[in-house]
Amino acid sequence: MLEISDLSARVAGKEILNGVNLTVNAGEVHAIMGPNGSGKSTLAQVLAGREDYEVTRGTVMFEGRDLLAMRAEERARAGLFLGFQYPVEIPGVNNVYLLKAALNAKRKAAGEPEVDAYEFLALIRQKMKFMQMSESFLTRGVNEGFSGGEKKRNEVLQMLVLEPKLAILDETDSGLDIDALKVVSMGVNSLRDPNRAVVLVTHYQRLLDYVIPDQVHVLSGGRIVKSGDKSLAHELERRGYDWVMGAQVA
Amino acid sequence: MNAALRSFEAQWRARSADADALQPVREQAMQRFLKLGLPTLRDETWRYTDLRSLAAESFESARCEVRGEIDRNASLSLPASDQPVTTVVMINGCPSLSADLGAIKGIEINSIKDLSRLDPNALARFFPLASDADQRRWVLLNTALFIDGLYLKITGHVADPVVILHVSTADRAHEAAHPRIIIDAAPGSSATIIEHHVTHGEIAPLNNSNTHIALGKDAQLEHYRVYATGAGATHLDALDIHQAQGSQCKQFTIALGGGLVRSSLEAHLNEPGASLDSFSLLMGHEDRHVDCVNIVTHAAPSTRSRQTSRAIAGDVSRVIFNSKVIVKAGAVHADSQQSCRGLLLSPNAEIDTRPQLEIHADEVKCAHGATTGRLDPDMLFYLLSRGLDRETAQSLLVYAFLADVLTGMSVTSARSAIESALISQLPDSQTLRKFR
Repeated sequence: MLEISDLSARVAGKEILNGVNLTVNAGEVHAIMGPNGSGKSTLAQVLAGREDYEVTRGTVMFEGRDLLAMRAEERARAGLFLGFQYPVEIPGVNNVYLLKAALNAKRKAAGEPEVDAYEFLALIRQKMKFMQMSESFLTRGVNEGFSGGEKKRNEVLQMLVLEPKLAILDETDSGLDIDALKVVSMGVNSLRDPNRAVVLVTHYQRLLDYVIPDQVHVLSGGRIVKSGDKSLAHELERRGYDWVMGAQVA
Repeated sequence: MNAALRSFEAQWRARSADADALQPVREQAMQRFLKLGLPTLRDETWRYTDLRSLAAESFESARCEVRGEIDRNASLSLPASDQPVTTVVMINGCPSLSADLGAIKGIEINSIKDLSRLDPNALARFFPLASDADQRRWVLLNTALFIDGLYLKITGHVADPVVILHVSTADRAHEAAHPRIIIDAAPGSSATIIEHHVTHGEIAPLNNSNTHIALGKDAQLEHYRVYATGAGATHLDALDIHQAQGSQCKQFTIALGGGLVRSSLEAHLNEPGASLDSFSLLMGHEDRHVDCVNIVTHAAPSTRSRQTSRAIAGDVSRVIFNSKVIVKAGAVHADSQQSCRGLLLSPNAEIDTRPQLEIHADEVKCAHGATTGRLDPDMLFYLLSRGLDRETAQSLLVYAFLADVLTGMSVTSARSAIESALISQLPDSQTLRKFR
């Protein structure tokens, strides 16, 4: 589904990614872990198509298409979803408007008709219930006045409505209390399916107790320095990132 | 003396034949005006608006007549036809009053001329002494030269909005009109008044309007002034608000027409508990120049003011928003906020905002903030990452930018007409309509 080869990228003139290689197949959940500043969020943003992040080398194929040649909105319509680490507040743009516009953009790209307003509301209500979100969400601006936890739930809600093929969740677990973490994990797990893939970017192993990854990668200095199965996450938790980074130097 | 000043002086001499009860006030105002002259870039509140080309013209008095039928939907219809409203038409400042206006509950609508003939002293208190302040320069001229005007006495609860349709019209270039409105709200009364400025025909006169609002104890007023004149029109508008104890005023200034618009607001919160919410929505389009000056004076304890301004400048337009809050000595617990935001939609447009504070009392709460920029790239990326096309995403953000002002409007049909007119001046307006 996703094939990243030798990906390097610059942000504001500074090299952040230095030759990332990663293959994610349909049906898999991958976790990308790493210390602060290792390039995890940059990787997520580059994959989603952030324009001020400059790709200097490498290729990314998404379902056989050249992802880097696509604009952010095209990537989204093709089935890629980024759950933001810091979802932006957009007062004045209603949550439901955004969701509806997003869903219709995707449907239009797939040659499907626009969603029926009544059906759409029913769908939203069902997903909101699943994510244990309050009714007031319907009338509020995008993330406006949301707590950190509410913003993350909203990201997962959007993901559930848009049903992406590939979801990249950038620290969706950070700042969540244990109940919220369970709800968010449940949301992510509900999307697991042989035709979809999930990439979890996370700093802590905590989320991985609830969403069991097939593979765990450690990103450090802008490249993947170690990969393994879920036990790698536990080992990292026990021994700290210095362990991997030390190994890298050795 | 420049050509404009000479021509105004000539008009003044010509009208002395029909001197009215207000003659002493007019005389004093005219003398001050002639002495001080037109404001220039050296005057503090005029530093962004150059009137030199205007000063070089000679003006004649605009007539109180209109050729042909007035199309009330010419620029935009405020509010919609299904909203019950009372409409008073003013042609170049002269009211055309019909008998049915006398029957509206809670409000008396009269001509200033008629009223001052009946009772020479009735309106004296609405004509303050001539001031040298540069933001009041054109008000002096208005006081001297206005032919007639409208006196609205709000006596109770007025259920439906009252629309004053200001029609600017001229047979020739270089005519000048001086519309005058007095809104006198009795204690405990409440009303909504919409002043709507439009142009009829190809030529618009120089429009020098003044509105004076006096709110009695606990009176409530929602007031709109909507500038929707033609692209070549020059409009200089001054609004004075005087508020007594516990009165509440919600004021909207919407600039979406005209070539050169100068809009001032001077609010005086004279007694405890007086509260003002001022909203400005200033739309720079094509080569429009919009210069907005707000001066809010907290002159009593526990007074409250909120100023929210949103400026958008596209094409080669320029929008200026200067606001000043003055807290006088003794006005303890004054509470004021100024929020000025500007959005540039073109590299050739310009926005200048300057919130200022002048505080002479202790224990006050005064906040201000001003930002101007392009669309927020983080917000834009967020919307794009959800699959919205760029045009839709940008339009949506522009619309969101205006929301703080639009959502404050209680007259929903007026709001929707204003929204519609604003949207038509934005790039990608077709896309934006879908999100209303």
